Amino acid sequence: MIKKKVCMVGEFSVGKTSLTQKFVNNVFSETYLTTIGVKIDTVQIEDTKLVIWDIAGRDSLSPINASYLVGAAGVVLVADGTRLQTVESISEIWSTVREKIGEVPCVVALNKADLEDWCVDNTTIESLRDRGWDVFETSAKDGVMVESLFHKIVEKTKE
Amino acid sequence: MSQLDELRQIIIGDNSAQLTELKQRIENVEQRTKDVAEVLSSAIEKELSSQQSGIVDSLQKPVTLGLKKAIRSEPQEYAEILYPVMAPSIRRAISQAISSMMVTINRTIESATTAQGLSLRYESLRTGIPYAELALRQTLLYRVEHLYLIDQNTGMAMTTLHADNAQSLDSDAVSAMFSAIQSFIHDSFSVDEGSRLTDLKVGDQNVWVVHGASAMLACVIRGEAPVSLRQELYDALDMVRTDFANEIAEYDGDAAKFMGARSILQPLLRSELKQEDSATENKKKDKPVGPILFSLGVLAALTWLVVHWYDSYSRLSTVKHFLDQTPGITANHVIHDDGKIVVQGLKDPDAIIPYQTLNSYGIAESDIRFATVPVRSLEPEMELARFTNEFSLPTGVSLYKKDGKIYLEGDAPYEWLKSNQTRILNLASDKRLNISRLAADEQSVRAAINARYDSVRINSMTSSIKTEHSKMGVVNIELEVSSKEFASLVSSFSGIPWVKIEANIK
Ligand SMILES: Nc1nc2c(ncn2[C@@H]2O[C@H](COP(=O)(O)OP(=O)(O)OP(=O)(O)O)[C@@H](O)[C@H]2O)c(=O)[nH]1
Ligand SMILES: [Mg+2]
Repeated sequence: MIKKKVCMVGEFSVGKTSLTQKFVNNVFSETYLTTIGVKIDTVQIEDTKLVIWDIAGRDSLSPINASYLVGAAGVVLVADGTRLQTVESISEIWSTVREKIGEVPCVVALNKADLEDWCVDNTTIESLRDRGWDVFETSAKDGVMVESLFHKIVEKTKE
Repeated sequence: MSQLDELRQIIIGDNSAQLTELKQRIENVEQRTKDVAEVLSSAIEKELSSQQSGIVDSLQKPVTLGLKKAIRSEPQEYAEILYPVMAPSIRRAISQAISSMMVTINRTIESATTAQGLSLRYESLRTGIPYAELALRQTLLYRVEHLYLIDQNTGMAMTTLHADNAQSLDSDAVSAMFSAIQSFIHDSFSVDEGSRLTDLKVGDQNVWVVHGASAMLACVIRGEAPVSLRQELYDALDMVRTDFANEIAEYDGDAAKFMGARSILQPLLRSELKQEDSATENKKKDKPVGPILFSLGVLAALTWLVVHWYDSYSRLSTVKHFLDQTPGITANHVIHDDGKIVVQGLKDPDAIIPYQTLNSYGIAESDIRFATVPVRSLEPEMELARFTNEFSLPTGVSLYKKDGKIYLEGDAPYEWLKSNQTRILNLASDKRLNISRLAADEQSVRAAINARYDSVRINSMTSSIKTEHSKMGVVNIELEVSSKEFASLVSSFSGIPWVKIEANIK
């Protein structure tokens, strides 16, 4: 059996933990408990064991903890579709990742698709796709596109 | 000699002979084999010492194939060759497994019987950890429960080993967490490269981590392991790193490649029991002998008391039981006194003590002393015995007991009635005797009359006994008699209620 390390990265409170928990344990909670350091979960996808590193979000005080990225076979970039600023900072986070571990396979999750105040337009999404990323409009609450997101990253790490 | 030969002779001179010899040598297979053999071993030696692996590589395949073939064709031979090498380690492995199992069993049994054992049972119920496991933990000095060989880079477990019945964990998550902690420490304390996480302590579990360039070995230990274990961890990690250098360098998440490393790590899954096991045990064992003897003594005394009490109690109750069934005796108390069974209560002197029955229960006549008040018992059985003794019953009369009453019944001779009448009537009026079916024998009455009074003519004689509910049987006699005889007749029959006379005076 092959094991793959995958990191969840993005601004704080975008739903990295929520997406992971929805996928691994099929649970969702409205309460926000910020992740400190990193939380690790494992899940089996077909013949691959995915070791998911749910890394604490970036904020003005603490930059993304780059050493957690070492050895990652793939990265899930997560942004909050109701906060444009978190989408814009994806580029910056990506350059941190690339600096640390190089061009690893990557997928983008624009999360909280279930909320009313969605503010990502198609142009923005297209510009992300132009960079060669697969973009998913996910909802950790409803579970929409969560499976596809993780299956895609596994698939890409195998290429 | 041809011109060509001449020319050759001029150019290479005498060498031609050598050439022919050389040619012959090459063509001669036997010679050539000899030549190769001469140089082969030194060629291999040279290659090996120059650290070039060419010859080793090319020899590997044929040697392996040859070996396989040889073993297959002569397995017995090879088994014998390998036996001295294999047998001791197999034996050791088996005996180790058995002895560790025995230790577990002994420990479990030992602790199952103590107060500590009970509290462990409770603990086991509370926590859901198996009892045997808790018992073992109590007596363990330390036990290496988990080993994680972790890829420094990805934080993934390349291989993991667990002690039998140690709680199972998600090895990959644990390994990742170790390496996350490692990264965290590295970033947070940002000291020099060489400073790394080496110890973690969680409750009574210690985590020891040793680091290699690209792999680390984390070892979860319950209890206090000796310091020397750390060096062994390093040695094992070094061995894995040399033997699996390529696999580690190219690690892609495929754990299967590290199966071979398990045998290197396996011996590290060790445990050691607490000291009292060996040296101090003897000392400790001496102490409890006193208390044990004492409690044994107390136990024996108690047992004797109980047995004795039961025994004597059962003798007393046996006596009482049978006396209660004996007519004529009222045993109020049956007690032990001065080695005898003393019966207190009331006793009819005529009562028949069932000594024979008591004898069969091991109680002799001499064991029993009666401290009783003598009474005359009115119990029917006693009365019956008494009456039977008292009245020598004539034929035709019977004395019997029915429904708790005593009956005197039948046609009794006149003379017998006469001599016993007072007693019988007294008993009847005391309700000790039922005489409702006692009557005078007509024949004997007639005889009695005729014997005394020749001229008496008996007209009729009827017995009331045939009528139901009679209080007693009465013979009514009608007779003719002189006045003088009548007076004497009446006087002689007076007081005998069983005979009634009506006379016609002549
Ligand atoms: N409605 C809705 N709420 C979401 C969704 N995903 C996450 N949330 C909420 O957003 C908040 C933050 O979610 P987390 O998953 O903790 O975010 P995070 O990225 O792990 O945050 P940090 O660990 O602090 O970096 C929580 O209150 C979640 O309930 C979603 O898809 N829809
Ligand atoms: Mg989180």
